[in-house]
Amino acid sequence: MKRQNGWDMFAFEGETAVTIESLDLYYGSFHALKNICMAMPKHAVTALIGPSGCGKSTLLKTLNRLNDLIDGCRITGSVRIGARDIYAKEVDVSALRKNVGMVFQKPNPFPMSVFDNIAYGPRTFGVRKKAELSGLVENSLKAANLWAELKDRLHKSALSLSGGQQQRLCIARALAVQPKILLMDEPTSALDPISTGKIEELCGELKEAVTIVMVTHNMQQAARISDKTGFFLLGDLVEFGDTGELFASPKQEATMNYISGRFG
Amino acid sequence: MRDAHTSGRKRETAAKAVFGFAAAFSVFAVFAIIFYIFYAALPAFREIGVFHFLFGKLWAPDKEFLAVSERFGILPMIVGTLCVTAGAVLVGGGIGIFSAVFLVAFCPKKLRAPLSHLIHFLAAIPSIIYGFFGLAVLLPVLDKLSPTGSGMGVLACSLILGLMILPTVTGIAKDSLEAVPSAYFEGALSLGASREQAMFGTVLPAAKSGVLTALILGTGRAVGETMAALMVAGNAAAFPTGLFSNLRTLTINMVLEMAYASPGSLHRNALIATGAVLLVFILALNGILGLLRHKKRERKIRPDRPPTPAKSQKPFSEPVFKKRGGLPRTLKYLSAVLSGVVLLALALIVGFILIKGLPAISPAFLFGPSGNAAASLRPAFVTTGLLILTALAVALPIGIGAAIYLSEYAKQNSRIVKVIRLFTETLSGMPSIIFGFFGVIFFCELLGLGRSVLAGGLTLSLIILPTVIRAAEESLLAVGDSLREASLALGAGRLRTIFYVVLPSAVSGIVTAVILGIGRIVGESAALIYTAGAVMYTPQGLLSEGAGFAVMMWKFSGEGLYLDYAYATAATLLLFVAILQALVALCKRGLTRGKRA
Ligand SMILES: Nc1ncnc2c1ncn2[C@@H]1O[C@H](COP(=O)(O)OP(=O)(O)O)[C@@H](O)[C@H]1O
Ligand SMILES: [Mg+2]
Repeated sequence: MKRQNGWDMFAFEGETAVTIESLDLYYGSFHALKNICMAMPKHAVTALIGPSGCGKSTLLKTLNRLNDLIDGCRITGSVRIGARDIYAKEVDVSALRKNVGMVFQKPNPFPMSVFDNIAYGPRTFGVRKKAELSGLVENSLKAANLWAELKDRLHKSALSLSGGQQQRLCIARALAVQPKILLMDEPTSALDPISTGKIEELCGELKEAVTIVMVTHNMQQAARISDKTGFFLLGDLVEFGDTGELFASPKQEATMNYISGRFG
Repeated sequence: MRDAHTSGRKRETAAKAVFGFAAAFSVFAVFAIIFYIFYAALPAFREIGVFHFLFGKLWAPDKEFLAVSERFGILPMIVGTLCVTAGAVLVGGGIGIFSAVFLVAFCPKKLRAPLSHLIHFLAAIPSIIYGFFGLAVLLPVLDKLSPTGSGMGVLACSLILGLMILPTVTGIAKDSLEAVPSAYFEGALSLGASREQAMFGTVLPAAKSGVLTALILGTGRAVGETMAALMVAGNAAAFPTGLFSNLRTLTINMVLEMAYASPGSLHRNALIATGAVLLVFILALNGILGLLRHKKRERKIRPDRPPTPAKSQKPFSEPVFKKRGGLPRTLKYLSAVLSGVVLLALALIVGFILIKGLPAISPAFLFGPSGNAAASLRPAFVTTGLLILTALAVALPIGIGAAIYLSEYAKQNSRIVKVIRLFTETLSGMPSIIFGFFGVIFFCELLGLGRSVLAGGLTLSLIILPTVIRAAEESLLAVGDSLREASLALGAGRLRTIFYVVLPSAVSGIVTAVILGIGRIVGESAALIYTAGAVMYTPQGLLSEGAGFAVMMWKFSGEGLYLDYAYATAATLLLFVAILQALVALCKRGLTRGKRA
């Protein structure tokens, strides 16, 4: 059965979705992530905050191995999704990425129809039947709160949508392959406040089904929607803990300075 | 599960190898061309002797009572080539640089785009039309000026070749002028220089190496031009002695005598050896270009320091032109006048050919039967169609594959990319006639295809390959990385990403490549005469001979009887070229609009 390939190969037991241990990452000689250790619980939103260039996106991309594409990028330490070491030799990167979806800072829909955008992932993993694809498209759009808006425009180009719709389409596209984890890299930074609100609301609903790791520039956003927060500075994970606690009584002075707006 | 995983990985590896091979194809092609031309020329060098061949003053292959070492000398042709090349660079290079300056600095904004389009159009006009224009319009005028009563020779050849290289020079000089940091221009203005002083005193000198590149590329084009030179040079294998003295270039020698040099004969080998000498010239020019580019890059590596008046930047502390007005103003008017001359030349060419050619076009002439009794363009339509199909069938997959390798797999600016670019550029700088000779040696003889449309099409595929690679690569690189990331993040492999996301977004660039290739094929003559043939009948298939429009036109204009036909063919060709140019412009516009979305 070809369908099985990559669909269900991931062991995802236990309470923790992502376990990072002593992770170091280098871009050439540049040490971008320094000895990172963190455990992200399942069915929760983990927020990564910190000033620009501190390594948030880099960390996110180690979780779906999108860093593999960058020349000179070197990683030591271990990253486990569920029980699985994702940097082990035998890991099928494609299956990994099916289980760990990603939404980017700028909406990046493919220049094709809404339907084809969402069907792209399932088709990659061998779904060909029209009825099955239609079902997946409908469910994904519903999950992204887009079905009502787009059900009559499935065959229009995705590029004709508004920015906020495009970003939710990208979320729907990521959901269509039924990932266990969804990575979001500043997903609202290019959007207006109303679209931002819709996406924040969506995150709250989605975490029933998927574990969310979100990079955000916006501390209020982190405080509003996340369960756990990690604060990064110059490649170090300065502080990581429950969101409420971290914002109310940060243990580190740097965290304090950052969340009170003294730099960044 | 594991099986699908490894088989997927194998497929990815195999694909990478295939694309890599496509990318290396230009390198093979360049080596093959050099190797086979020299290999086939070897017997001639050996029998005649390199020294006697290069410096012999007499070319008389049929004077068999003379020693071999005495009757195969190409010095007159080397001198002829150098003469007309110098003339062409003087005419086309000079005017080309001035019109580039005009376009960049003095041209009213509204005229800039249309003028650039016209210059592109000038570049797309086939050589055979330039030659025919020279023959039919320029020569009668020069005849009146010439003391001998014949206008053929050095002057006519220089003017026509100059006109032909002009768009190359203008295009590249314009790019390099536009690349000069605006700080130079503004810096000069802030010191009280006028616009024209700033342009000629500061910006033009700053663009020196780009302008030099433009001139060298123009030189290469002039050295290798065949058909246009053939029609106005007079073709006597003697040393040129004045503006109106007949001459023969290396290329003319090759194309003129190949028709009656029997295979295997020393005569034919000597013609191929002429090609080898031409190739040495072209490769030397390429070498100079490479050095120039190397030097430029070295200079760029140093941190960009915008010139400050305090530093001893000459144009600033000590303006080249002391007085306002004066020389710079004269140069400005000169640039405007010379740009006008270019437009006039273009108008003359197009005007003459359309006025004389359009009335001669009739349905019977276009599509009627063709043979010894009547001539029509039907064979040209069929031949050209077959040539396009063959050439695209080979060049498109290889070219797109190479572009995919360069943009999707290779590290940008890595050594391998540089090598492939260098060879692709070398390939694109080779003269048609060299491709023609290679086609004869390799496709017709070695592969045994004989003189056939297939051999012609394969030869053309090499000619259009660099264009396809460049246009496809450009459009692939224009596709945003965010789309690639989106696809990969969904678990798609590289291949799927390339074929379902990247290539569809690059379609307009690939269509541009196809159109540019077709334009080149439609107007090609020198590469086809001896590979596809110069017959008047309709080819029955890929293995029979056939002549396209340009070769037909050459036949019509050579046999004085058919001058009307030649005009009509020229008009047809010109219309094709105009339509293709318009399509390219549309595609480009689509491309920029797509990027904005
Ligand atoms: N491909 C790369 N090559 C080299 N350095 C990189 C690359 N990507 C990011 N960096 C560097 O790594 C650091 C972290 O970048 P990033 O993770 O994008 O930061 P953030 O998302 O927190 O703003 C920055 O200093 C950045 O310059
Ligand atoms: Mg970032």
